[in-house]
Amino acid sequence: MGLLSGQDETVLKQHLSTISKPVQLVLFTQAFGGSETGQVAKQILNEIAGLNDKITVVEKNFVLDLEDKAKYRIDKAPAIVILSDDVDTRMRMYGAPTGYEFVGLVEAILVAGTGNIDLEPETMAWIQAVTTPTHIQVFSTPT
Amino acid sequence: MAAANPLITADAIEATEFMDLSRKYRVTGVPKTIVNETIEIMGGLPEQDFVRAALDLPELQ
Repeated sequence: MGLLSGQDETVLKQHLSTISKPVQLVLFTQAFGGSETGQVAKQILNEIAGLNDKITVVEKNFVLDLEDKAKYRIDKAPAIVILSDDVDTRMRMYGAPTGYEFVGLVEAILVAGTGNIDLEPETMAWIQAVTTPTHIQVFSTPT
Repeated sequence: MAAANPLITADAIEATEFMDLSRKYRVTGVPKTIVNETIEIMGGLPEQDFVRAALDLPELQ
């Protein structure tokens, strides 16, 4: 049984219809010694990908796929790397994307797939003026 | 923010899944944002306030 209800799927499909660029969701999971949330993340990503053919899921092994792990600088799993037309958006999600995290995932997919960033022009100017590497970590919970 | 500037990386972390990190950054409520290991932002803020705090920009007069 799917995690998304029929109604969720209908609404989500409509939102995702605005995507014009391919979006790859690279999921790192740990088969042994990892948490069950990796499987939940996989199911959620596959259900989202099933709603729009521009979205694909690529699964990587956190323990074995060391080259990809280094490439995307992944240090914990489950991890989701969001690519826009094979280009790293530098947006990452760690843990199963349920609850509020799910909303964040969908928003990240829309940014990656449309190129549209919904920020005020002034805010955008401040962000674009950043000249040093900046690492933002946002902690949240599903509820 | 990450999508708008290639120098920015943005991680959304499920706090209960990564308890070690939550303890490291003293996450006692969510959302909590950590920028470059030094700036801490508690709770949700309006867009401009959040970006100002995250980028350590001076307060508007």
